[in-house]
Amino acid sequence: MEKMAYLAFGFYTFLCLGGALWAVTALSLVRAFTGLVTALFGVAGLYFLLAAPFIGLMQILIYVGAVAVLIFFAIVITGASREAENRSITTKRKRCLALLAGLVPPAFLATAILKYSVVTTNTVTHVSIEDLGRGLLGPYGLVFELISVVLFAAMAGAVLLGFKRRQ
Amino acid sequence: MNIFIAYQLVALAMLGLGLYGLILRRRLIGMMIGVELMINGAGLSIVTTAQLTPASAQLGQLGTLLVMGLAAAEATLVLAIITVVYRRFNTIEEQKISTLKG
Repeated sequence: MEKMAYLAFGFYTFLCLGGALWAVTALSLVRAFTGLVTALFGVAGLYFLLAAPFIGLMQILIYVGAVAVLIFFAIVITGASREAENRSITTKRKRCLALLAGLVPPAFLATAILKYSVVTTNTVTHVSIEDLGRGLLGPYGLVFELISVVLFAAMAGAVLLGFKRRQ
Repeated sequence: MNIFIAYQLVALAMLGLGLYGLILRRRLIGMMIGVELMINGAGLSIVTTAQLTPASAQLGQLGTLLVMGLAAAEATLVLAIITVVYRRFNTIEEQKISTLKG
């Protein structure tokens, strides 16, 4: 049974990192968007493997269902799928600098993780959805209200930004 | 090298790939894709720490839900801004929309 867990971990990590790699290296933005969706599904699978099924389903609902569709509509509205990214303008120097920027912070954090060991438990704690709900309505009620305010402000701001001026 | 470190390294790899995409991409939506990858890596790291260490699992999962909600709100506003920029400049490449001198 443990082999299945390792196999699932390997598969979801492949989806996650392969999708992310595809998302950052594809020339066409629509391909990059598909890579992003693959990576989001991979992360949802990893959430399921960590015995957090509610978070995994919320990941699919919020990220793939809302954020990814939003990015897709933005690609359509701004016509980004039509413009071709000119490969010669992205110079080798810029690519090397981007690689450096992408490697140094995670390398620093990785050495911190590998050097200072944290007490880990190998059995996963199960939190029921009831506990999450009671937490949101009980001790963390203020946070729940504030996230509603933030989402409302984002909606109002987006609608306001989208208004066209009367000609 | 236990499973906790493996999950954290996956999250860090997503951070690295997101940063690479953010710096490399020349169009604003490509940069947005990089930012979303980084936020996902952070959420994965939070849930891993909550589930696999003695830290409170309920708090970690609630924190990740909040991170997801905030990422959705931020994506909404960023894409609205990108739409406004597109209407103003008719392009979304970073070199062409920069009007500051120098």
